[in-house]
Amino acid sequence: MPEGRAITVLVADDNEVAQRLCRRVLEKAGHRVLTASDGQEAVNIALAVGPDMILMDVAMPGMDGLEAMRQIKAQKPSMVVVIASAHSMAGDRERFLAAGANDVLSKPFRLNDLTSVVDRLVGGVKPA
Amino acid sequence: MSPGPRQPSAATPSSIEGLVRRATPYSIAGLVALYGLAAAGLSLAGLSGPSAALALLVGLILLFAVVVAVVNRDARRVAATVERESRTVRDSVAWVRMALDHADVGMGIIDSRGSWLHVNSRLGAMLGRSEADLLATSLPAITAESLSEAITESLAQAASSPNGGWKAETLQVRADGVAFPVSLSVTPLGDGPAGAATFLVQEVDISAAKRAETVRDVMVAVRHAISTSATWEHAAPAVLSAMGSQLGWDVAQLWSADADVKLLRLRQSWQADDPRLAEFDRAAHSLALPTNSGLMGRAIQSGVPAVNEEVTPASESLIGEAARRAGLTVEVASPVTVGGTVSGLLVLFARGPRDIDSGVMTMLTMAGSEIGQFIHRSETTVALQRSEADHRAIFERAPIGIARISAEGELLEGNAALLMMLKHDIDTLRTQAWPELRRAYDLAAGRVNLPPLLAGISDGGSVQVRAATGDGRWLWLQMSAASIPDLKGRPEHVLLMVEDVTTVRETQDKLEESLSAQQRANADLEKLDRTKTEFLSIVSHEFRTALTGIQGFSELIRDGGLEADELRAYGGYIFNDADRVNRLIGDMLDLDRMESGRMSIRMADVDINEVLTDTVARAATASSMVEFKPDLDPRLPIVTGDRDRLVQVVSNLVNNAVKYSPEGGTVTISSRAEGGYALITVADTGLGIPPDEIVHVFERFRRVRSGAAQSIAGTGLGLTIVKQIVEMHGGKIWVESAVGHGSAFHFTIPLALEAATPSKQLRHA
Repeated sequence: MPEGRAITVLVADDNEVAQRLCRRVLEKAGHRVLTASDGQEAVNIALAVGPDMILMDVAMPGMDGLEAMRQIKAQKPSMVVVIASAHSMAGDRERFLAAGANDVLSKPFRLNDLTSVVDRLVGGVKPA
Repeated sequence: MSPGPRQPSAATPSSIEGLVRRATPYSIAGLVALYGLAAAGLSLAGLSGPSAALALLVGLILLFAVVVAVVNRDARRVAATVERESRTVRDSVAWVRMALDHADVGMGIIDSRGSWLHVNSRLGAMLGRSEADLLATSLPAITAESLSEAITESLAQAASSPNGGWKAETLQVRADGVAFPVSLSVTPLGDGPAGAATFLVQEVDISAAKRAETVRDVMVAVRHAISTSATWEHAAPAVLSAMGSQLGWDVAQLWSADADVKLLRLRQSWQADDPRLAEFDRAAHSLALPTNSGLMGRAIQSGVPAVNEEVTPASESLIGEAARRAGLTVEVASPVTVGGTVSGLLVLFARGPRDIDSGVMTMLTMAGSEIGQFIHRSETTVALQRSEADHRAIFERAPIGIARISAEGELLEGNAALLMMLKHDIDTLRTQAWPELRRAYDLAAGRVNLPPLLAGISDGGSVQVRAATGDGRWLWLQMSAASIPDLKGRPEHVLLMVEDVTTVRETQDKLEESLSAQQRANADLEKLDRTKTEFLSIVSHEFRTALTGIQGFSELIRDGGLEADELRAYGGYIFNDADRVNRLIGDMLDLDRMESGRMSIRMADVDINEVLTDTVARAATASSMVEFKPDLDPRLPIVTGDRDRLVQVVSNLVNNAVKYSPEGGTVTISSRAEGGYALITVADTGLGIPPDEIVHVFERFRRVRSGAAQSIAGTGLGLTIVKQIVEMHGGKIWVESAVGHGSAFHFTIPLALEAATPSKQLRHA
C-alpha cells in the first residue's frame, strides 16, 4: 500500500507493454494511472484532467512526446513531465531536459527508479 | 697715300744744292769767254803799253764785278729756290710723319736688316711697346720665332731687287709675350742717307678676323666629326683635337657629370704631343672632381663658360696641382648641356697667356650644346638599337610562342617557338591556324567578359583555348594579348603570347576530377556514417523498447507476490518482446547479408500460385478475424526464383495485411501474368497508409504508426527485406493505398525463360 500521498500519473506511451508495466508499478505504489497512446491524446488528457505528473514517451506516432510536453507546458507551466524514452544515445538526456522535462527516465528502467522519480518530483513519501 | 706729298719728296735738300752747283759754273765760264774775246781784240788793234795793260786790268775788274754780280744773282735765285724747295720738303716730311703717325695701321720704316728706323704710335700700341723700345729692335725680332727667319730672308731678297715689295701674314709677339696674327706689307723706299735700302712697313692686326675664322673652322670640324660618327666615342678624338690644336690649346677634355651631378669624371681627352701633358692626362683620368668647387664647379653651377687665367693648386683643388706640373696655367671650362641641363664640361688648358675673346666663348658654348645634343642623340640611338636587339632576341629565342598581329587582325609574324608548338610553317600558320585561333580567343574572352583581341588599347586579357596543331593533336593554349599603341595612341599592333598549357591543364583537370571524386566519396562516407549513426540510434531504440517490457515484467516476477494469472500474462509479455528482439536480430542480419551481396538465392522453377495458396492457408489458421480471398490465375506460368525467399515475401505481405486490417476485413491475394512477369497483389481493406508516409514504407524502421496502427508490433524491417528479395529476383514492388480504404501491395517476379513466350503459355494451359 502507498506510504506517501497518492497522486495521479498520466502514462503516455504507444507501446502497450510499457503502458501496462507502468500502470502495474504505479498502481501498486498507490497512485492513480491514466494512459495515452500518442502525443495528441496526452495533451488532451493532461489539459482536461490535470494529472500530478506525466510520464511521457518520445517516439510516438503523430505528435511526439516532446511536442506534447511543449504544448502542455505552454498552458500549464507547472505541470511535472518526466520523459521516459528508449532514446539514450549520447546527448539525448540533455536534449530532453533542455526541452523542458523535469526529469528523464531511460528505458529500460528499474522499477525502483520509476517510483522514486515520482516520489521525488511530486512529494510522494518513500518508506524509510 | 695721296700723290701730293709724294712729288716734293723727290727734291731732297742735297739735290737742291746740286742744282745750284750745276748752274753757277756755266754762267762764270760764259763771262770768262767774253773777257778772253775782248782781250784778243785789243791786242789785235796794236795797243800795247801801259794803257793796254790798264785797259786789260779794268776789263778784268769789270769782268770780275760782272761775274760776282751774276754769281750773286744766281746765288740769291738759287737760295730762294732752295728756301722754297726746302720748305716744301719740310712740309712734305711733316705730312709724311703726320700721315705715318695718324695712320690707322701700324707703320714704320726699316732698313734692309729690318731694324726700325721709324715707327708710328699705332704700331707701338699694337705691339705693346714704346717707340723707343721698338726702335731698339727689328721686325724679325718681334716676329714669332718660327717665322722670323723667313722675314729676314724676304727682306734680303727685297733689298737686292728694285721693285721687291711683298705682303705676308705673320705672327708678331707683343711685349707680354702674346703672339698675334698680322697682315704685313713691306714696300721698298729706295736708298737711305747712307746709301742703304729702306722699306715702309705696314702692319694690320688681324687677330679678330683670324679668331673668327678659327672659330668657324673649329665649328666646321666639330660638326663634321659629329655628323660622320655614330657615337660620341667615335666623334670625340676629332672634336677635341680640332678644339685643342686649331684654337691653339694644349689640352682639350670632355668631363661627364654623374647622374646627380655631384662628381665629374674625365671621359675623353686630347693633348698636344708632350710627355708632361700625357702625364697630366693620366692624372686627370684618375680624378673624380666635385662639382661644387674650382673652375669646373663654377661652370657647372652657372651653366656658362668660365675662365681661370692663373691655374694654381689652390684655385683648382685636385687638378690644379697636376696642371701646374704640366706647366698649364690657363683653363677654360664650358658646359655641355643636354636639354638645358648640364651633363658635363668641355675643358681647355694651355700654357702661358691666351687671348680668350667672346668669339671663343661663343664657340665653346655652341660646341658644348651641339656635343651635348649629339651625346644625347647617340646614346638614345644606341639605347634604342640595344633595346631593339633585345626585343628581337626575345622574340626569336623566347621559349613561349609570340605572334605579332596587325591592327586589322592579320598575323604579321610568329616566332620559332610558336611554329614549333603549333607544328605549322609561317604560311599555314598565317592562313589556316591563325583565323581559328583568333576566333577561339574571342570566344574564350567573351565567356570571361574580356574584350576581343582587337578591341583597341587594353591591358589585354589572358584566356585558355583548345587548338589543333598542324599534325592533328589538340593542345590547351594560354593566350595573352598586349596591344602596342602607335604615337597617336591608336593600336598599332597586338603582341600575342602563346603558351602550351596542355600538360598543366590536363593535370589540373585530372586533379579536379579526382578531387571531386574524393569529395563525392567523402560525402558518401559522411552520409554512410550518418546513416549508420541513425541506424544505430533506431536499432538501440527498438531493442530498448523491447527490453523495457522484458526487464520490467521479469523484475516484477522476481520480486514475487503475484497472482497466477498475472504471472501468466507477464510471462506472455516477456515472451513476445523477447521473440520480437530475436526477429529483429534475424531481420537485421538478413538485410545486412542482402545489402552486402552475401546472401545467395537459389534459383529454381517455382509455382508462385502454390506459394500463395500455402501462405494464405497458414495465415488463415493463425487469424480468424479476416477473410482471405484468393484470386489466382490458374494459367500463370512458373517463375524462376528462390522458393523460401518468395514464401518470406508473400507471408510478410499477408501478415502485414492481416495486422493492419480491422476485424472482419478482407485480404485479397491475386496473381496473373503480365509482360513476362508474374504480377502478385496482396490487398487489404485496412487502415491505409497516409500519402506522406507511403513513400517511406519500404525504408527501415518506417512502420506506419498513426491511428489504430500504433499498437501493431513489428520489427520495422519487413518491407525493406521484401523489397530486397523482389529486386534480387529482378522484379519490382510498389504500393497503392487510401487511408480508411486499405492498401494494395504489388510485386512482379520474372517468368521462367521457356515459359515466357505466349505460345508456350498456351500449350501449358
